[in-house]
Amino acid sequence: MSFLQNFHLSPGQTIRSTRGFRWNTDSNKDVDSTRSSPKRSRDDRSGLVGTQPNAQNLDTQLWVTPTRSGNTLPELQQRQTQREANVVTDFNYTPSHQKQFLQPTAGTAVSSHQDLKQIVEITLGSEGVLNQAVKLPRGEDENEWMAVHCVDFYNQINMLYGTITEFCSPQSCPRMIATNEYEYLWSFHKGESPVAVSAPKYVECLMKWCQEQFDDESIFPAKTSGQFPQKFIQRFVIPMLRRLFRVYAHIYCHHFNEVLELNLQTVLNTSFRHFCLFSQEFELLKPSDFGPLLELVMELRDR
Amino acid sequence: VNDIRSSPKKLPRDFHAKAELHKTQRVVSVCQMYFLDYYCDMFDYVISRRQRTKKVLEYLSQQGDLKSPDQLNGEWTGYLEKEHEILRKRRLKPKNKDFE
Repeated sequence: MSFLQNFHLSPGQTIRSTRGFRWNTDSNKDVDSTRSSPKRSRDDRSGLVGTQPNAQNLDTQLWVTPTRSGNTLPELQQRQTQREANVVTDFNYTPSHQKQFLQPTAGTAVSSHQDLKQIVEITLGSEGVLNQAVKLPRGEDENEWMAVHCVDFYNQINMLYGTITEFCSPQSCPRMIATNEYEYLWSFHKGESPVAVSAPKYVECLMKWCQEQFDDESIFPAKTSGQFPQKFIQRFVIPMLRRLFRVYAHIYCHHFNEVLELNLQTVLNTSFRHFCLFSQEFELLKPSDFGPLLELVMELRDR
Repeated sequence: VNDIRSSPKKLPRDFHAKAELHKTQRVVSVCQMYFLDYYCDMFDYVISRRQRTKKVLEYLSQQGDLKSPDQLNGEWTGYLEKEHEILRKRRLKPKNKDFE
């Protein structure tokens, strides 16, 4: 029934490295070996950039923050400090158990797990307001409440993903992944096995799939007299939320830097927190559904 | 380094060029407005719905002595149906295709 599959690999294993991730192999444990091995670099970045003769230059270009040109002096100073500190903090969300597999490259170090806290702290400080708002209004039909929220979250994710479409291309994200542990596949035809697609393609398919269900009177009735199908929540709401979640996961794990830079982090966090509180309130998603963002979800919950 | 927004980050090489595109700026502001509008509207709905329910329940408890339980139940159900219709209309309001 499930069109999509996620590969939940144990921390030692990994799927093919796609974007910004390194192989979790022993040879990669050593920072220097990573840096001095041009072969590895090329493997890692194939599909991202064309053949570059200078592997080290490639490293720098990829990992060092591009700075706005114009004011050269501060830029130089920044570079200097950056080189001195030799630390670039990657705020893209990475679960703590994966940190050990992310090797600091030239000019790059992943922060201690401070960023998780920071991600949580920049959520709208609306304490308890969202928790209250997700509760089923007295006497309301649970199905209708679910349906309204499905549409709302669909719209929210559409808006959020819309802001990073420039940055999430088949080139930057040739696979729909969230961290190097999770890849989400899409099945185009019933009965056929799901296939790997690029992140934008996956989101496009997902949104179309949702829209088709919203337009189906027998699933999401529009008429006042229209009834919801049997087991509406189990058959339609849960599968939809499980898949919509994956877009959040991809954004957090691979585009959070961009989101921060665009100053949309509050919006993203609020939306995701709302999504989590809603699924928690009605016990719609299992911890395993939260896969790559489980830690973040826990932080949000305990808040 | 302590401030998350002023920290050096890994960004794609062409990030700033793309971020400054009119198109990007536009979707970012549309997104912000959308969320502001959504949450204002959503909280407004939740709060006013609670107030309506509270009033109806007060009214029904006042009528407790005058009307039979069946009548009271009927009025309560009637109220819920109206609320249900309002909620359904919220889901159907044609906002999906308004934005790209």
